[in-house]
Amino acid sequence: MKEQPHNATQWQGTTDGLPWMHRALICVLGMVPVGVVYAIAAVFVVPFYILGRRQGYLVQYRFFRQAFGFGAFKAFRYACLNHLRFAQVIIDRFAVYGGRKFTFDVEGRADYDELAHGESGFVQVFSHAGNYELAGYELRQPRKRLYALLFRDGSQTIMDNRASVFAPNGVEMVFVQPDMSHIFLLSNVVRDGNIASIPGDRIFGSRKFVECQFMGSPARFPLGPFRLAAVRQAPIVAIFVMKESWTSYRIFVRRLDSSDQGQKPTALGLAQQFADNLEDVVRRYPEQWFNYFDFWQNENNGI
Amino acid sequence: MTELLETLKQQVIDALNLEDLTPEDIDVDAPLFGEGLGLDSIDALELIMILEKEYGIKHQSPAQGKEIFKSIRTMAEFIQANRTK
Repeated sequence: MKEQPHNATQWQGTTDGLPWMHRALICVLGMVPVGVVYAIAAVFVVPFYILGRRQGYLVQYRFFRQAFGFGAFKAFRYACLNHLRFAQVIIDRFAVYGGRKFTFDVEGRADYDELAHGESGFVQVFSHAGNYELAGYELRQPRKRLYALLFRDGSQTIMDNRASVFAPNGVEMVFVQPDMSHIFLLSNVVRDGNIASIPGDRIFGSRKFVECQFMGSPARFPLGPFRLAAVRQAPIVAIFVMKESWTSYRIFVRRLDSSDQGQKPTALGLAQQFADNLEDVVRRYPEQWFNYFDFWQNENNGI
Repeated sequence: MTELLETLKQQVIDALNLEDLTPEDIDVDAPLFGEGLGLDSIDALELIMILEKEYGIKHQSPAQGKEIFKSIRTMAEFIQANRTK
């Protein structure tokens, strides 16, 4: 593991479509079963992205070939399945905006409840595998506010809907600011006993990263969430929300802790623990890896 | 103020593990971020902890952060005006 400055700008990820399309989708999903919209997406949208925007498909194909060692046909099948699953999780987000409910099984709820009801602030780190956004509807923190560091998505419709759905659950959105005020805000959030929710697999804002072993090769993870937890000596928990069926998700709550042997946790140690937990989840749900860029960014290891 | 500036330079070096630098290498008016000392935004976390732990300053407004951490001198001025220990 290494701590290094990062010079490349990573793909940030935005939601395609115009605002009126998003509003129409929310409206439709309030009336029509999600299965119908899944079917429409499978027939018309997924092939467009696979055939028309080959970059994402190729990244996924290589991911399955090299990280999982799949043969050509199996990698193709999984790359297609990945696009289908991605369409479904996006549809699910809009379905929630439209008032739909999903069911959740939570592994590690006791750990989460202990943190959520405790005095200490903590860092909640997540990945772009599965559908983390839906965790906010199931994992509650009645005594704390959750501040979620997000990309500023191009669509105001999405931002407005996120804000309206999150607000009653004590969730506030925080965006990266050129004046670094988000760093001060998140530091205060943890110090004051609240929750800082930060992506653990995208390097944005700060350019620093840590290199961890992930899926058999060194990969870059952002330093920010892990350093925040280490500097504040605050608990840190990884949350993964994975789609199990049309209407259900499984949430994995994994407490990270490198304080064994009496040592203070380090950012590097926490990042590697996050990478290990992410790998475990990705191996269980390989088609739900939604980072559509070269995650390893290393010409030497081939992934 | 001079003593505070020197102490602060050493604290920044220690907190950020800037092993290649000595206090004499740091210009108190040079920007801490970007040009100058070349810190990254996430390094602000360590500077916040210096203010909290060493000087008992716990209530920094996020909007003020960039001004406070403009340089060693602006940090020192803020500390002098707000320190509780």
